[in-house]
Amino acid sequence: MSGGNGNGRPEKLRGYSAWSLLRRGLTHEDWPRAWREHELRSSYDAVIIGGGVHGLATAYYLARDHGMRNIAVLEKAYVGGGGSGRNTAILRSNYLTPEGVRFYDRSVKLYEHLAADLNFNVMFSQRGHLTLAHNDASLRTMHWRTEVNKLQDVDSEVIGPDRIAELVPYLDVSDETRYPILGALYHPPGGIVRHDAVVWGYARGADVHGAHIHQQTEVTGIDVSGGRVTGVQTNRGRIATPVVLNATAGWSSLISDMAGVAMPVQTSPLQAAVTEPVRPFLDTVVVSGTLHVYVSQTDRGELVFGASVDPFASYSMRGSLEFTEGIAGHVLELMPALHRMRLLRQWSGLCDMTPDYSPIMGPTPVEGFYVDVGWGTYGFKAGPVSGEAMAACLATGKPPEIISSFGLDRFLSGRLVGEKGAAAVGH
Amino acid sequence: MMLLPCPWCGPRNATEFRFGGEAGRRPDPASASPEEWRRYLYFHTNPAGWSTETWYHGAGCRRFLTVERHTVTHEVRAARDTATGTTGEGIS
Amino acid sequence: MSILPTTRRTATPTSQRLGHRAGEVIDRSRTVSFTWNGRPLSGHPGDTIASALAAAGERVLSRSYKYHRPRGLLTADYLDPGAFFQVGDEPNVRGAHRLLEAGMAVSSQNTWPSLRFDLKAANGLAGRFLATGFYYKTFIKPEPLWPLYEKVLRTFVHAGAITPDPGAAYYDKRHAHPDVVVAGGGPAGMAAAVAAARAGASVMLVEEDHQLGGHLRWGDGAALARLRALRAQVAAQPGIEVLTDAVVTGRFDDNWIPIVARSLPGITERLVKARAAVLVVAPGLIERPYVFAGNDLPGVMLSTAARRLVNLYAVRPGSRAVVMSANPEGDAAVADLEAAGVEVAAVLDARRQQGVARAHGRGGLRAVETTDGRRIEADLLVTATGWTAPTSLLNQSGDRPVYDQAAARFVPDPDRMPANVLAAGGIVGDGTVDQLVEQADAVGREAARRATGGSAAGTVPGLRPAPHPELFAAGTGGFVDLCEDVSAKDITTAVAEGYDSVELAKRYTTVTMGPTQGKLETVNAVALVAHATGRSIAETGTTTWRPVYAPVTLGALAGRPREPVRYSPMQPWHERHGATPLVAGQWIRPEHYGDPAAEVTAVRTAVGIIDVTPIGKLDLRGPDVAELLNLLYVNKWSKLGVGRVRYGVMCADDGVVLDDGVTGRLGEDHYLMSTTSSGAATVWEWVENWLQTAHPEWQVHVTPVTTAYASINIAGPRSRDLLSRLTDPEDVDLSADAFGYMNVRTGTVAGVADCVLWRIGFTGELSYEIHVPASYGLHAWERLVAEGADLGVRPFGVEAQRILRLEKGHAIVAQDTDGLTQGFSAALDGLIKLDKDDFVGLPELRWQQGRDSHPRLVGLQPLDGTVVPPEASQILRTDGSIAGRVTSSRMSPTLGRAIGLAQIDPELAEVGTRVTVRLPDGRDVAAEVTGLVHVDPEGERQRV
Repeated sequence: MSGGNGNGRPEKLRGYSAWSLLRRGLTHEDWPRAWREHELRSSYDAVIIGGGVHGLATAYYLARDHGMRNIAVLEKAYVGGGGSGRNTAILRSNYLTPEGVRFYDRSVKLYEHLAADLNFNVMFSQRGHLTLAHNDASLRTMHWRTEVNKLQDVDSEVIGPDRIAELVPYLDVSDETRYPILGALYHPPGGIVRHDAVVWGYARGADVHGAHIHQQTEVTGIDVSGGRVTGVQTNRGRIATPVVLNATAGWSSLISDMAGVAMPVQTSPLQAAVTEPVRPFLDTVVVSGTLHVYVSQTDRGELVFGASVDPFASYSMRGSLEFTEGIAGHVLELMPALHRMRLLRQWSGLCDMTPDYSPIMGPTPVEGFYVDVGWGTYGFKAGPVSGEAMAACLATGKPPEIISSFGLDRFLSGRLVGEKGAAAVGH
Repeated sequence: MMLLPCPWCGPRNATEFRFGGEAGRRPDPASASPEEWRRYLYFHTNPAGWSTETWYHGAGCRRFLTVERHTVTHEVRAARDTATGTTGEGIS
Repeated sequence: MSILPTTRRTATPTSQRLGHRAGEVIDRSRTVSFTWNGRPLSGHPGDTIASALAAAGERVLSRSYKYHRPRGLLTADYLDPGAFFQVGDEPNVRGAHRLLEAGMAVSSQNTWPSLRFDLKAANGLAGRFLATGFYYKTFIKPEPLWPLYEKVLRTFVHAGAITPDPGAAYYDKRHAHPDVVVAGGGPAGMAAAVAAARAGASVMLVEEDHQLGGHLRWGDGAALARLRALRAQVAAQPGIEVLTDAVVTGRFDDNWIPIVARSLPGITERLVKARAAVLVVAPGLIERPYVFAGNDLPGVMLSTAARRLVNLYAVRPGSRAVVMSANPEGDAAVADLEAAGVEVAAVLDARRQQGVARAHGRGGLRAVETTDGRRIEADLLVTATGWTAPTSLLNQSGDRPVYDQAAARFVPDPDRMPANVLAAGGIVGDGTVDQLVEQADAVGREAARRATGGSAAGTVPGLRPAPHPELFAAGTGGFVDLCEDVSAKDITTAVAEGYDSVELAKRYTTVTMGPTQGKLETVNAVALVAHATGRSIAETGTTTWRPVYAPVTLGALAGRPREPVRYSPMQPWHERHGATPLVAGQWIRPEHYGDPAAEVTAVRTAVGIIDVTPIGKLDLRGPDVAELLNLLYVNKWSKLGVGRVRYGVMCADDGVVLDDGVTGRLGEDHYLMSTTSSGAATVWEWVENWLQTAHPEWQVHVTPVTTAYASINIAGPRSRDLLSRLTDPEDVDLSADAFGYMNVRTGTVAGVADCVLWRIGFTGELSYEIHVPASYGLHAWERLVAEGADLGVRPFGVEAQRILRLEKGHAIVAQDTDGLTQGFSAALDGLIKLDKDDFVGLPELRWQQGRDSHPRLVGLQPLDGTVVPPEASQILRTDGSIAGRVTSSRMSPTLGRAIGLAQIDPELAEVGTRVTVRLPDGRDVAAEVTGLVHVDPEGERQRV
């Protein structure tokens, strides 16, 4: 299909508004394609592998801010079909390490203005984010995160059971429970976003600035000659390019293997589930690390549940019964009144876990081959800032300061990032 | 959850086991370079296919097993006691 | 037969109950009263809520999601999107499936202020502006207003409500190991189950409805006769367990099959977890709605819905009907309607290109417009336009159904099914009941053969899907998803905007994402996407069918609470003496007995006892234990003599501190290792790991004895006096010369033989840790309390112990260290022996020491001793950047001042360095780096 409206070029990023909605409602005029389809060129200045939020955001910033317009995003299925469309869409910046806090804070700030920036309502709902502490050790970690957050001007505080009960009346804050709630890390700027909208908004934005988005285009090989990248092989033919970014999740080590670059990742499924809708009763995101569960209620009324990654290496997205049993048990431990709610659907996404629960971003030993991988369970939160940083990295060849801690070389030099303590189930 | 064929206990739900990662060889601590050592610590093949792994049957015989498992289909084609080599032929 | 004549819907609904039907499932001898939106109504036992409402003449049962359009019955079964009700405090009850119970308070959902007068129906007028994805295109600016818009959007949530304090419910779980699970109890499922059981297999037959029988139940006389015969066979056949009102909710690896069983006496829902050798999938077919303008009006329903209402519940679904039929089941519906006294105004035979173009009406069907331009007055429109094979369980088994254009439905691909999954009946193809039963009989026998390894493989006859016209949408608009209010136009629009794969269109429009899970909607959505893109349905493909196959309550998934709790044998005493409980992992321990500072003082000045049973304990025996200890601990163990105890720290191979504890040598080849409480299980596995995978040649036998012993630490200057009252010097000589610091003895304590005593000093005082066979733990504890009364003995809890150890500068693993703290950052410089040939973590620790840039663990004292910087307070450099943090801090009762431990960057780690600590309230305080040990740095007190 050839897309577009006559001249093949979609409207500028100001096309969506209440007024245009009204006008088209009256005239029954069709909306233009959000992004166009193009012929696959035989060469691009840069090729981004992975049509999720990371790849599309990188393309958007690369084209918009760095003037690189002859670029392509290759997606083996459909945009947002991987981790970007399978996560539980929780945003927050209350991390543990200064480098983590600074990085994710930038991401939240970009998210706050993303709807206006992309002219696409991504429905960022800053409803607040509660991480419950059920024992001294986790309460201590909450305090640690709070203190680091405050020093970076990130809004976090530790609150007690009474305040928690006010925010989430359905939580059982009595001391009768098996894991009594001793306190919580409260992070008001945190919340949820419509994950698909972020992907589509970036795709539309990248398209307007000239990037080509190729769906159903699978990379089958990466050509390296003399220690540098020369092109990629796809199911639709070869593309010559001096710059390749691996922005995949789940398959990141397989893609890097094509370039001969080993990745310190283990791939494991992360499962999630959604219930039938009920009338709104849960206004914040609730996370319990001890109980391995996070819960939020969408604007559609569904509860969205997530847990920690499956405890073994796997590329299967079939899911397990044990996940739903565990999640239900833990949710009812927190909110016993929910026992009549029905689970409607479960699904999995693949996560590339790194040894220090931090991503791998920047150049690799193969010149021109860059990675933005190893995102574990927290990649979606970092989409905008990663796109911004990787765009700068691809354009200049050097990682910007904000991602300097996340280089691949840290594993061989033994300089791991210290998020491991807080991020194990830190959604 | 998938079944793992324990050579001592027969097929058991994988929840009885703890995954120990890809089976790897520990370099000589006296002579290993930092790069060799950290490749041992952090870098594994992570295949989408057959993988040779360690599993610990913590809720069963408490033996460490070497298992050849397909990471996409979860089929298991071989499982033996890592120390004794027992394959448990005939146990089902 | 009594038929109440109503040609027009009147303000007061009148009874639509028919006279007796041959297959009816209601018990007319009894009446069940309930309320509908507060109004008293009644039905009969056997009625569903919806059938009772329909019998009472209610046609509008709910309002739709976005446009608040009135909705009535569509499928009259579990899936019916028009019959979701609030029943008491239970939301989203499937009203066309849930049986009526006396006293039910049923109300419609999603109506405001009432079902009949719904203000939000005004949205219907704005429908053209609320086209799919409208919310992505608006509310963008001004940004500060979005939270307000969001609040409004949330008021549209289409669902029932939960309450904070719902009634009690009981859920449980059951494990089962049937040879064969048959999912679906229609004719094929019953035949397969009987055949499998006859062949010797144990069978679990699972049927979602309240009775076995499937479509035979609402069939004609011949079908009912067949139904009785099949039910009799099932009942007579040993080896079949029948679960009705139960549903297979998924198929996971190796046929791990969850089944949710409802309607069990005294149980709200039960989750049956079956590990079956073979799964037979026999769910039959789901009738597919037809998409046309007005297809959601009350009065428009499927042929199976009309037949269920008439034949099962004896309810007349309307008075004047139009039937659009493309298949024999539709034709049968015509006959059923006529037999029920419904005037059939027209039959539109879709096999002869006749059909519905539009339905007209407001609040209910008034007229049907046909494709050839006729307008027919009617209050009932029945469609029989095709079938959907519910292939979800097959998809979860790895199958990828293929589109059969001639049959107008997706069918399973037998080549892609694993050997332990078979399909039977209508999901495979069509046929007479005889043909379905014949095929299922062969499948049942084959299932038994595969499950039990019986005789040679038989052939499984196939079933060919019957030719059927491709009927999905009339092209006049209408709704493709009634749960989500997604219209055909929405799909077309989404495709035009570039959301042109079925997965993208699904996500953009939310089609198939509602509570019916796409069972009614998916194929129509695929067809609309295919039409809009110009691709074929086969090329377009279908969306992924994900578990769960049917919604299941959180209660059923959770089952009964099963979080284990561990108590020491002394717990009854602690409870009697006012201990404040502390949750420490699985253990519940006394945090204190009211006054932790006084408990500390008692230990420093007299004697205290603490229950330390949760400390991990491993009994190690064999000639190679010393080799093992040398490998696992960073320090040296070769020269530990019999009767000696040593402290050790374990690191992992990345140099990160893993655990610590003391290990004593009880005999030549016999050691007792202690671990942290939280590390007990980890260390046990760690020990086994190194023994089994690295050194299987070593002879070491490991026995976990954590709970075999009750452990008590007796600490304080009078601890020797106290313990001596419970021991015999001939057996255990407690004198300083005979039983020195860091020694271990075995003997009798308080008359209990086989105790282990070690003299160690976590608190910094003279102290003994005794390990008593667990069943005597309470006895030993009570004796210590009784014998020590005049010595001032006092029990102390975890809090006092924390203070005592902090005064002595002992680090706690995972508090003063974290997940990346390597050995030299844990003040282990003196302990780590880099000159050993090997130990776990050696290379990394060697390199860590060489770098010398690592953080250090130090003592810390605020200059103002009255201020205790809370744990996690950050230590700042002059430029405001973070240089470390306080890992432990308390007011020391012994010193009368604040003390702490801190992780701090090396440039500030020198003893005497002044640092700035940022308190949580924002104040900065000055503190001084000190040695780790705040009290008795020389350790005189513990060596007496």
